[in-house]
Amino acid sequence: MNATEAAAGATDFIQRMRGGLDEGLDPMEAAERAATALPKALRESIARMSRRLAGEYHEDEWGFDEEFAEAAYPLFEFLYDVWWRVQAEGVGHVPSHGRGLIVSNHSGSLFPFDATMIGVSVMKEHPLPRWTRGLVLNWAFELPFISFFLRKIGGVPASPFNATRLLEQDELVMVFPEGVKGTGKPFSDRYRLQRFGRGGFVEVALRTGSPIIPVAVVGGEEIYPKIAEAPGLARLLGAPFVPITPTFPWLGPLGLIPLPARWRIEFCEPIDLSGYEPEAANDKALLFDVSEQVRETIQAKLYDNLVKRGSAFL
Amino acid sequence: MPAAGRRVVIAGVSSHWGSELARVLERDPSVSHLAGIDTSEPEADLERTEFIEADIRNPVISRILPGLEPQVVVHCGIVWYPEPDKPARALHDINVIGTLQLLAACERCDGLEAVVARGSAAIYGSEGAAPGFFTEDMARRYPLKTRFQRDIGELEGYFANFARRHTEVTCTMLRFQPEIGPGLDQPLARYLALPVVPTQLGYDPRLQLLHADDATSALAAAVRNPVRGPVNVAPDGTISLTKILRLAGRPSLPLPHQLAAPLLARVGRQLGAADLYNDGIRLLRFGRGCDNSRLKRDVGFAPRFDAEAAVRDFVAKGAAGRRLVSSVHPGQLARRMGAGV
Repeated sequence: MNATEAAAGATDFIQRMRGGLDEGLDPMEAAERAATALPKALRESIARMSRRLAGEYHEDEWGFDEEFAEAAYPLFEFLYDVWWRVQAEGVGHVPSHGRGLIVSNHSGSLFPFDATMIGVSVMKEHPLPRWTRGLVLNWAFELPFISFFLRKIGGVPASPFNATRLLEQDELVMVFPEGVKGTGKPFSDRYRLQRFGRGGFVEVALRTGSPIIPVAVVGGEEIYPKIAEAPGLARLLGAPFVPITPTFPWLGPLGLIPLPARWRIEFCEPIDLSGYEPEAANDKALLFDVSEQVRETIQAKLYDNLVKRGSAFL
Repeated sequence: MPAAGRRVVIAGVSSHWGSELARVLERDPSVSHLAGIDTSEPEADLERTEFIEADIRNPVISRILPGLEPQVVVHCGIVWYPEPDKPARALHDINVIGTLQLLAACERCDGLEAVVARGSAAIYGSEGAAPGFFTEDMARRYPLKTRFQRDIGELEGYFANFARRHTEVTCTMLRFQPEIGPGLDQPLARYLALPVVPTQLGYDPRLQLLHADDATSALAAAVRNPVRGPVNVAPDGTISLTKILRLAGRPSLPLPHQLAAPLLARVGRQLGAADLYNDGIRLLRFGRGCDNSRLKRDVGFAPRFDAEAAVRDFVAKGAAGRRLVSSVHPGQLARRMGAGV
């Protein structure tokens, strides 16, 4: 639908609406009759909106709203294709159905976009697209707007209980074991993996018999290069950290625009844990072994992809 | 549990849920004798329930209860909202001291087999970053923030203590999520029936509202088949407040929560939920989900309505006579304009 068509539709709508009112129809009826003048795409989106306003849409038990996620998808797709020119490799390693645990490095201080970009690459490049369910930093779920936005696009608070339940429901779960240590590291430490939590993600994978898919993301570190922190402000807001970047907070809201770095995402060979019994989850040494194996895989792939990417922005 | 000839005592029989349970158990042939204790006579028409007027807060209960020779004691005297003869400032006494005195009386009963308490899932609190579904072993993961949460926490402490000391008695603590139902006139139902519903800007809690029929049946199921320890009583799934309001056709008024909290407290008082129990405000900001697998597996009861079906039933049958879907809702206009696509 182009602009002139839309304008013509709108004028036609107003004329018919006025005509209807002149004939003595009540405003509701007039609007109903005039609506036939509107283009089909617009009428369809009005129909969808009215259905949603009447509460007729589906949310799963976590509050994930697939229709909402689809509506937000084009924005992420734009970031993926145009802004960050993401190149994904090995998406076929993601199981097309059944449970799976994606484990990735974490980056992007202000807004960790790496989770959404991994999600988009599975949706775009996988032969059988599916939604990924991200485990998100708990603090985000205390915040207004952000909390329900994240939930509606499939995020859940990071907790082993949530991860276990989601995997038992055969979902594709995404976890960032570095947590805030990963997103909050200074620019000079970029692409150096931090400690991988306490091996909790391996425990969850063993208990639920899920394969681990290590993922290396290159590009997220350059979108908000953190050069310093504002600890006083962080304490005031109760935030884990408040970054200072070359653009934030100097340019105000404009500083929130992420820099257009080039990204590469590589999905590695899944680590199959089906040889172990669920009781193996109690073996701490095994947890640290597997955790270290995943960490080394990701670190090696990070260096690989940094070389393959070449220049960060051009 | 012997199949026939059980003697059951319901403490708090005049409360809504106490009366509902009595009505169900009166029809149950395995209950040979049914007695109810409360401060005022039940409004419901009960046929074979022996009514004893007594206050569970009064130590005299320790002399009355053993005389009834109960095998099962059901504690329905934990109240969530103030009632006509139970003012807000007495709720702490009724819930905490009442439970304490009732348990002391239970110690004197020979042949007691089970104590079933109708508690609340408020012990888990309402937190943004909480696990999506609390299981029974996750109580007190978060500090108890409201007066009601602390009361529930305290009385559950007494209850667990009693269970530890009396291993011969099966003690069941039922943790109920808030109920909703066509005939149920409670502050939450009144809140959803307000002409304009104030909500907290930027928050959309995931709620589990238990259908009133399921609430009664779950209680009766637990009396027939008591299990040890706490059991969550919650429907399957969750539903967001936004979706509830849209299904009910209620316009909402989102306010920043710094403003909404005092307003909601006032509204809550008007609706009959004392401000002292500002549990609801946190619930309506962060929500709460509970895992009901123990209810299904151990008690053997599966709720008939899931979270969404309970709300749909509530809307379809009209909330206690109020007309819920108004014609000025913006959704109405959009529906008519989008018709015929």
